[in-house]
Amino acid sequence: MYRIIQTVLAMLFLFAAMPQGLRAAEGLRNLVNALGEAKLSAMDEHIAALAKTGEPEVVAILDALGAGNLYARKTDGQVFLTKESGSNLALIDPISGESAGETPKAAMSKIKVNNSVRRAVRAALGGLTLLSPDRAQRLKAAQSVLQTPDVDALDAVENALVAEKDEAVRTVLEQARAAMLLASDRPIEEKKEAVRLLRENGGREALPVLSAALGSAENGLEQDIEAAIASIEQAQEFWNAGQNVWYGLSLGSVLLLAAIGLAITFGVMGIINMAHGEMVMLGAYTTFLVQDVVRTSFPHLFEWSLAIALPLAFLFTGTVGLVLERGVIRFLYGRPLETLLATWGISLILQQSVRTIFGPTNREVGNPFWMSGAFEPGGLTITWNRLWIIVFALAVFAALLFLLKKTPMGLQMRAVTQNRRMASSMGIRTPLVDALTFALGSGIAGIAGVALSQIDNVSPNLGQGYIIDSFMVVVFGGVGNLWGTLVGAFSLGILNKFLEPYAGAVLGKILVLVLIILFIQKRPRGLFALKGRAVEA
Amino acid sequence: MTEKNPRTLLYLDGVSVSFDGFKALNSLSFVVEPGELRAIIGPNGAGKTTMMDIITGKTRPDEGEVFFKGDIDLTKRDEAEIAQLGIGRKFQKPTVFENHTVWDNLELALNRGRGVFATLFYRLTGEDKRRIEEILATVRLTARRDDLAAGLSHGQKQWLEIGMLLAQEPELLLVDEPVAGMTDAETAETAILLKDIAKTRSVVVVEHDMGFIRDLGVKVTCLAEGSVLAEGSIDFVSNDPKVIENYLGR
Amino acid sequence: MITSFLVKSLDRTIAVAVAILLLLAVIVPALNLLTAPDHPLHVPTYMVSLFGKYLTYALLALALDLVWGFCGILSLGHAAFFALGGYAMGMYLMRQIGARGSYGNPLLPDFMVFLNWKELPWFWYGFDMFWFAALMVILVPGLVAFVFGWFAFRSRVNGVYLSIITQAMTYALLLAFFRNDMGFGGNNGLTDFKDILGFNIQADGTRAALFAASALALAGSLVVTSGIVGSKFGKVLVALRDAESRTRFLGYRVEHMKLFAFTVSAMMAGIAGALYVPQVGIINPGEFAPANSIEVVIWTAVGGRGTLIGPIVGAILVNGGKSIFTAAFPEFWLFALGGLFVLVTLFLPKGVVGTAQHHLARRRQARAAARKEDEQTDLEDAKPMAAE
Repeated sequence: MYRIIQTVLAMLFLFAAMPQGLRAAEGLRNLVNALGEAKLSAMDEHIAALAKTGEPEVVAILDALGAGNLYARKTDGQVFLTKESGSNLALIDPISGESAGETPKAAMSKIKVNNSVRRAVRAALGGLTLLSPDRAQRLKAAQSVLQTPDVDALDAVENALVAEKDEAVRTVLEQARAAMLLASDRPIEEKKEAVRLLRENGGREALPVLSAALGSAENGLEQDIEAAIASIEQAQEFWNAGQNVWYGLSLGSVLLLAAIGLAITFGVMGIINMAHGEMVMLGAYTTFLVQDVVRTSFPHLFEWSLAIALPLAFLFTGTVGLVLERGVIRFLYGRPLETLLATWGISLILQQSVRTIFGPTNREVGNPFWMSGAFEPGGLTITWNRLWIIVFALAVFAALLFLLKKTPMGLQMRAVTQNRRMASSMGIRTPLVDALTFALGSGIAGIAGVALSQIDNVSPNLGQGYIIDSFMVVVFGGVGNLWGTLVGAFSLGILNKFLEPYAGAVLGKILVLVLIILFIQKRPRGLFALKGRAVEA
Repeated sequence: MTEKNPRTLLYLDGVSVSFDGFKALNSLSFVVEPGELRAIIGPNGAGKTTMMDIITGKTRPDEGEVFFKGDIDLTKRDEAEIAQLGIGRKFQKPTVFENHTVWDNLELALNRGRGVFATLFYRLTGEDKRRIEEILATVRLTARRDDLAAGLSHGQKQWLEIGMLLAQEPELLLVDEPVAGMTDAETAETAILLKDIAKTRSVVVVEHDMGFIRDLGVKVTCLAEGSVLAEGSIDFVSNDPKVIENYLGR
Repeated sequence: MITSFLVKSLDRTIAVAVAILLLLAVIVPALNLLTAPDHPLHVPTYMVSLFGKYLTYALLALALDLVWGFCGILSLGHAAFFALGGYAMGMYLMRQIGARGSYGNPLLPDFMVFLNWKELPWFWYGFDMFWFAALMVILVPGLVAFVFGWFAFRSRVNGVYLSIITQAMTYALLLAFFRNDMGFGGNNGLTDFKDILGFNIQADGTRAALFAASALALAGSLVVTSGIVGSKFGKVLVALRDAESRTRFLGYRVEHMKLFAFTVSAMMAGIAGALYVPQVGIINPGEFAPANSIEVVIWTAVGGRGTLIGPIVGAILVNGGKSIFTAAFPEFWLFALGGLFVLVTLFLPKGVVGTAQHHLARRRQARAAARKEDEQTDLEDAKPMAAE
């Protein structure tokens, strides 16, 4: 007892003197070293003291103690985890987990354990993390128990279940308990109940547990387990499909964002803008700049940085688009192939400009808190940034649709694109409308860049990755039709993600490209084609 | 009028086609005899051009039959095949190959092998040369044979296109507004030219110019809203109350 | 009248160009091999290889011009055919390495040994024979172009749509060739070549011979292309470029015409690629990058599409400029290239050669018109009017 008090006093002293991390580590070392000197009867208290620290290293130490692998060095009483290495012992520092050389066995003394000590170790181990006040740690501990269920920890889990209030942790614990039950010698009814529980909650983790239990099952439990496995596998497949749909929707929203500006410039105006990807890139760099300024001058506004970047990116890329249209593209109307070449040249210039100014490497764009993390409805994992991007893409789409269909500006745009001369003679200033339409398309590419900066590397090559895909979406969906772009983006996204598990990411993409090429053969004007004499001319 | 005559050159029965809900042709039935010169009139959107699109394979009908020379189903063939069968077409807007000389335009139109290798190893024979010179004389472009078609006047382009159709030696010629934008003198000459051509083949002319049609002095079909409104001599058709209501009166 | 003059001058220019190329094929190797290194007329070996590379680029541009300039098909995937031809040649060169690779495997190229492959994939069979590889250099790009074109032209995909799907085609090939399990060396491609037809690929003599071969191939292709363009088939190509549906209504199967031109052009591109690879010593998937194909377009545009000399001049001008520029100001090459795209499309749509020819023809025509004026009027009056 005295020794413990001494140690505690020493610890207190050290606590005051050391930086916190080191302090904790030093305290832990003292506790561990104390094990080497403790009597068997006092071990319980030492173990409890160790467990109380809640440090992650304690788990390994207690494990080693239980297995009889904990030794004290005779010369200085330092305690080490060990491994047999011929006639020597390989030493492992209990705190750092690093190797500490080899010593002859004779130089070490084994810390003795008996059954009561082993029990204490097990209890401490289970309780150690399962009872931690930190929810996340409890959850992690419960999950680790579930992954490697050990009959010995059954009591600890059941204890923890009594105390546990958190629903998510409870679920995992109950599963873990069920898994352990199956391996234990409890009565068959309880086991059946356990199988039922595993089946109901049915996660991927339950499968190996059930398969393992299948070997030793009897008295009709086999059928239960088999049925449970089948049911879980089915559920897994369902959730996998769901997850693929989600990934597909997410990819689709990215494609939609990248393509929607193009749907205006290419789809509505018929301009092949190969620099469209670079507009997206400029939008992303605008976000980077905004965050840079916010970080250095107004750090409290960081959560709002995306909201600040949006209008700025729209205005900036819109202006670039305006200059482009007035400076180059308007001289090339009616010559689509030349437009393609000129805008390609512009894309090279924009890329190289950004490379010269910001350097060729990726730039860091931070995620605000509401864009980070994930949640898990059912068997799905949904990240917040992806979810917001889907919402954002749809919102941009809706806004654009409204603009085109319900506002005077949209009316003028449609009038000019359908019959330029008639619109002109009705007093619409067609050059202005052209310029504004192109600026709008470019501006939308810019705000797409703001969103994409959250999930993609912000580098000068950002835009190139999107340009072919965006054209594919617009062509696939049908030129001149916004709804076609929407459907095209999401169907290509989902198709891509469903092909990936079977074909791999690269081959899946190739397949999609081939499919689109074949599709264009079949319907040269896309999914939602305009029909009639006017478009044939 | 829809009864099937074995000597009929072109036979359309119950042809309908619609674009995005708009019925461009509505159960149109129509017959052209061999050697006939026929004029078609009708208001804008009556389906005149669409009818030509269907005959020449540019547009597929939603329903109905189109037969050439009695038993050749035109709805199953494409433009090139139909052209090779002997149906020539002149567009509303004169379309000639502007970057080719007048001579090359006619040479391309000449009814000779049109395959890849036939054209790759084609040599201008004396016979072909004579034929082109003959057509040049017919359409009065001999003096401009070596000029690029781009340099021709509007009327000359129209004639060049008619010349190309002659070189094609079709049995049926579809001519869409041949005198649009022509002077009165040119219009009169074109009427003479068309009547001349119709001596050896059938011609269908779509026109708005009533004077021109009177000059032709042939059977007239009036289309409206995708079907035949009236058919007969120019005087008969122009006195028809339905035609006056739909087309002439307004 | 302009055309008749153009045709005559065109024929003469082609003859001159072919003569120059033949001359180069003899003189440059001779100056490289027969003169001492310090002789004022000596052409160093690196220059021979550099210009040999330009000639293969010129051939590629000529191939593109056949479909773009004369047929109106703007292919944004022509570098893919070039790369396919290059890979066919690269496979031959890989097989020639034999047991001299770093793993010393007599059958498998190094990268296959590295990937732990036990057998040669079936599509590598036969590439140890030069004649077979040479055949594949033409057949593989030709077949890919034929299949692609058959689908595309039959369903009348044209204009920018066609351009975009050709770009998608080369992009798909790029992704495919990056994969290790395609069996073409993945990321690194094919390289470390040792010899070609038994001659050391690094030797001056081989380099000179490759230059001569490139010049001859270009001259030969120029003659063939000029023959195609000058035939009635060539006239049909221009006709369908300018008025596709008119051509159809004259009874021409436009899709067959395009398909033929596209396939021939792809084969020419394949030959160019096959001559390129031994001169630069490597072929990798980067050659499929869409940007490469678009660069070919700008060479052709700079020189003048629709003229046969134009693409050759353009390819040499732009690449020569690139070599000089990247050595002097590497940062600014992309600015220059981008600017070139914009300026040429805005101010020089006919290209250097096209613009020159245009002015030349106008001047000659003016002179001829002045000379002929009197007899011309007499002639016109004398011509019979056979209409009635």
